[in-house]
Amino acid sequence: MAFKKGLFKTSIGRKNLMAFTGLFIIFFLIIHLIGNLILIIPNSFFPIEFWNNVANVHDMYNAYSHFLVHFWPVTIVAYILYAAIIIHVIDALLITLKNKKTQGEKYIIADNSTSSWYSRNMGVLGVFIGVFIVLHMAQFWLQYKILKIEHDLYHLVIATFKIWWYVLIYEIGIIALGFHLVHGIESAHRSLGVYHQKMMQIVQLIALYFSLVMAILFAIIPIILYFK
Amino acid sequence: MKLTLKIWRQENAKTKGKMVTYEMSDLSQDMSFLEMLDVLNQSLAIKGERVIEFDHDCREGICGQCSLVINGQAHGPESHYTTCQTHLRSFKDGDTLYIEPFRANSFPVIRDLKVDRSSMDKIIQAGGYISSFTGMAPEANAIPIHHDIAESAFDSAACIGCGACVATCKNSSAALFVSAKISHLAKLPQGKVEREERVQWMINAHDEEGFGSCTNTGACAMVCPQEVQLIDITRMNFEYNRALCHSKE
Amino acid sequence: MALNAKIPEGPLKDKWQNYLAKTHIVNPANRKKLDIIVVGGGLSGGGAAASLAELGYNVKVFFFQDSARRSHSVAAQGGVNAAKNYKNDGDNVYRMFYDTIKGGDFRSREANVYRMSEVSVDLIDHMVAQGVPFGREYSGYLSNRSFGGVLVSRTFYARGQTGQQLLMATYQAMMKQVKVGTLKQYKRHEILDIVIVNGKARGIIARDLDTGKIERHAAHAVVFGTGGFGKIFYLSTLAMNSNGSANWRAHKKGAYFANPSWTQIHPTALPQAGEHQSKLTLMSESLRNDGRIWVPKKKDETRAPGDIPDEDRDYYLERRYPAFGNLVPRDVASRAAKERMDAGHGVGPLKNAVYLDFKTAIEKLGVDTIRERYGNLFTMYEKITAINAYKEPMKISPAAHFSMGGLWVDYELQTSIPGLFAVGEANFADHGANRLGANSLLQASVDGNFILPNTISNYLSNEIRAGKISTDTPEFEEAEKAVKEQVEKLLAIKGTMPVDKIHRRLGKIMFKEVAMSRNEKGLKWAIEEIKKLRKEFWENVAVSGDQNGPNSELEKAGRLADYLEIAELMAVDALNRKESCGAHFREDFQTEDGEAMRDDKNFMYSSAWEWENGDNWKLHKEPLEFTEVKPTVRSYK
Repeated sequence: MAFKKGLFKTSIGRKNLMAFTGLFIIFFLIIHLIGNLILIIPNSFFPIEFWNNVANVHDMYNAYSHFLVHFWPVTIVAYILYAAIIIHVIDALLITLKNKKTQGEKYIIADNSTSSWYSRNMGVLGVFIGVFIVLHMAQFWLQYKILKIEHDLYHLVIATFKIWWYVLIYEIGIIALGFHLVHGIESAHRSLGVYHQKMMQIVQLIALYFSLVMAILFAIIPIILYFK
Repeated sequence: MKLTLKIWRQENAKTKGKMVTYEMSDLSQDMSFLEMLDVLNQSLAIKGERVIEFDHDCREGICGQCSLVINGQAHGPESHYTTCQTHLRSFKDGDTLYIEPFRANSFPVIRDLKVDRSSMDKIIQAGGYISSFTGMAPEANAIPIHHDIAESAFDSAACIGCGACVATCKNSSAALFVSAKISHLAKLPQGKVEREERVQWMINAHDEEGFGSCTNTGACAMVCPQEVQLIDITRMNFEYNRALCHSKE
Repeated sequence: MALNAKIPEGPLKDKWQNYLAKTHIVNPANRKKLDIIVVGGGLSGGGAAASLAELGYNVKVFFFQDSARRSHSVAAQGGVNAAKNYKNDGDNVYRMFYDTIKGGDFRSREANVYRMSEVSVDLIDHMVAQGVPFGREYSGYLSNRSFGGVLVSRTFYARGQTGQQLLMATYQAMMKQVKVGTLKQYKRHEILDIVIVNGKARGIIARDLDTGKIERHAAHAVVFGTGGFGKIFYLSTLAMNSNGSANWRAHKKGAYFANPSWTQIHPTALPQAGEHQSKLTLMSESLRNDGRIWVPKKKDETRAPGDIPDEDRDYYLERRYPAFGNLVPRDVASRAAKERMDAGHGVGPLKNAVYLDFKTAIEKLGVDTIRERYGNLFTMYEKITAINAYKEPMKISPAAHFSMGGLWVDYELQTSIPGLFAVGEANFADHGANRLGANSLLQASVDGNFILPNTISNYLSNEIRAGKISTDTPEFEEAEKAVKEQVEKLLAIKGTMPVDKIHRRLGKIMFKEVAMSRNEKGLKWAIEEIKKLRKEFWENVAVSGDQNGPNSELEKAGRLADYLEIAELMAVDALNRKESCGAHFREDFQTEDGEAMRDDKNFMYSSAWEWENGDNWKLHKEPLEFTEVKPTVRSYK
């Protein structure tokens, strides 16, 4: 059997692809979160000597985003990330379409007590996250990096999170992301074959707490900014 | 006790099916679920009506022939039971039960509640065996196998091939069934020799037979009458990826 | 036709090797020109099919289940015997042979039993190589347990599902040959007749249970691995669809039926709970290692079992058989239970059970030890009865289990029809009048895997010039016509009595008079009742639906029609044998203290019955000669 077919065409191969891309996106999320956290650093957080180089959090955030845009290795990683997201989505679509075909007639009475709702609805959660990403990119990435309308990203962020409905959409997106992560992290490890019972229990715990921490930190930033 | 049964009736895979209602009375709590269907069929036979076709054989939970989904639950309301082990004491007087066949594209309906599970045989045919011929075996004690490994292999080998995992899976994936056999044989030294060919052949057959992709919801392991564990699916994925890495092409 | 068992020359221990040395075999190039039909996909049939297909024959295997993995071998729990002597406890082939002969009450063929014991050693190797996860010690070596009727530990086991695991190995071996292409499966096909051409078995008529189509299949030889017919009692430990039809149809075409009345009644099954019951689940014999069997001393006892003090309990097995106590062989234990129940001491709502109590064992060993030993059986018991057996005693009852009788076969496992072979429970060969625990898996597996492939070649070596067998002959035509007529006849009756109800009534007659204990008057009564019931069946059975598709009522009716004839032969056989031996206990032939009385002078033979058209059978006697052992009285006192 060809290696390529095994990796991309079979039911397990497709899941491998989901796992690899998913885990890579998680890695990016951590980096993204660190950047976001700058936004809520109070100016008094660092000693006064620290601010000799940069004037305040405003400048620090802008310097950070400027660095991301202009440091070429980051650009390469960014393109890999876009590819990962696109592959993750296309692969998910292919798997879902195939799985829809394999189902027979629907049960007249369905009983779903044997599995969690979020594990069954990864696709739906994914759509929420997808819509959120599009809005998010249009608001920041498009204006700052592509159209270059706004040069002060910090200002743009602060202004955006004063809009209540934008905050709401952001929060919904983050909650969806949290649930997507809980199942996604466990499922990715299963797909890749971590077949150790105790190890799997640890993965489950990590999945739960990691997702919880990620979701809370991501979610808290716009709320703080909104009320600030 | 009294029960209202809504039973799926379907002539064959090509025709459309529908639910038909039957009222049952004078039932006793310690009657098994299938015995209730026996009683119903007897009354239909006397009336000259076609009886309800359903699968069953050993009636002690080991042959894997019985199927059925009762109120949306494969093998009925008790977890890790087969339908034949389900008794009416699991229901309340006056309940309405929706009785449907195992549903999946790979399990075409033969008639009523009987489905064709040949697709599972085909997966085993693809490689679910050790290619040892009668007569070529070495002395049984020549290969020691640690007690825990033998027990663990047994846990996987206990699968009865009923198909409840497929019926309950939202993707109609047979991952738990396939992985039980792959894990059983991959754990034992005598099965390790052809583990790479086996897992690839069986996964290809699984896909060709039209089963879906596992998304690790874990519903299968919750209904499995033999309590085959989800970790077997993970083991199967490992075996598959291992085989891919060793692939010469 | 006179019976010729074809037992090879030489001393007992050399017979099989002598046979193998001289038997004719078939050239590999010729094997693919030879077709073999195997009926039954269980341990015996499946094992034969897989092994023959490995040799390169063209094998077609027929079974009524939707997969061979569901054959009833799957339900065997306890284990499989083999004379490996891993325990260093003095076991050897001869001891195993002797235990089996004695367990069968000296009514089996010496040469066959010896061969079974001899080949048992290879079987364990074979099954381990196929991936059976037998129980192991921490050192990694195979573990053994002990079973009833023997003094050594020679039983290999895979928890309480040994049958399932052996069957899976056999099924997988078959699937491997399906992939290779030498084996073709016919699932959900039921055999309705066997076709004889020029005195040789040349094919079968089968019905596709899904389409209703009647099909003809031809071959150079036919092998039956069709199992036992204990379901004739309706309430039994057998699967719902197990049946005796294939054997019976062969019998009516000339195959002799041997010792049909010898049915093992297993002492530890679950009792019948109500009129609707369809199946009696078996609880493993191993429970009797730690459980104590008792009934209340007082008739119509109303107290709960836990409230009955020891002095009001009758541990009747310990009382009657102090030497073996609760571990007497199955036939003895069943009969003793029946005796107590008939005397009015039965327990449970229908007064049809006895207590199997673990109280003493739990007090002595602790609940954890008991859970470790029997946990899965206690869980199974609770699933079915909703009773926690750690807290109150189990209720158990005897149930029909295994057919020691079956098609008469010679040493080559060939029936009296040339070209028709029978393996496993379908034949009569190895267990005599009572089967020992863990010997049925053994017999089925060795017959199919090791014995038949070597003996069938002796027959097939003369068939290499026969060419392809045609189904387009008057014999096939005639057989198919008869089968079709019967199907139509069943559908045309349109009576008012459902098949199951008639079967239940047949079961009651059989269990009353042709089961654990028999007498002349009762057997004669049973024969009359069976005839009446048969008449009623053909006048008033209710079979609805049609024949062009799945029709479970039609399937059941066809099987019951045969059972109604087998039942009569069972009673006739029991009536003929005026002695008590093994499972066959004649009340009119017992000692003063109620034990079995064998009559070696007049009944040291196997009864092989030949069907004579209509209501009559001709008895052929195969004398049993014991050269190595001396028949003794079986005593467990």
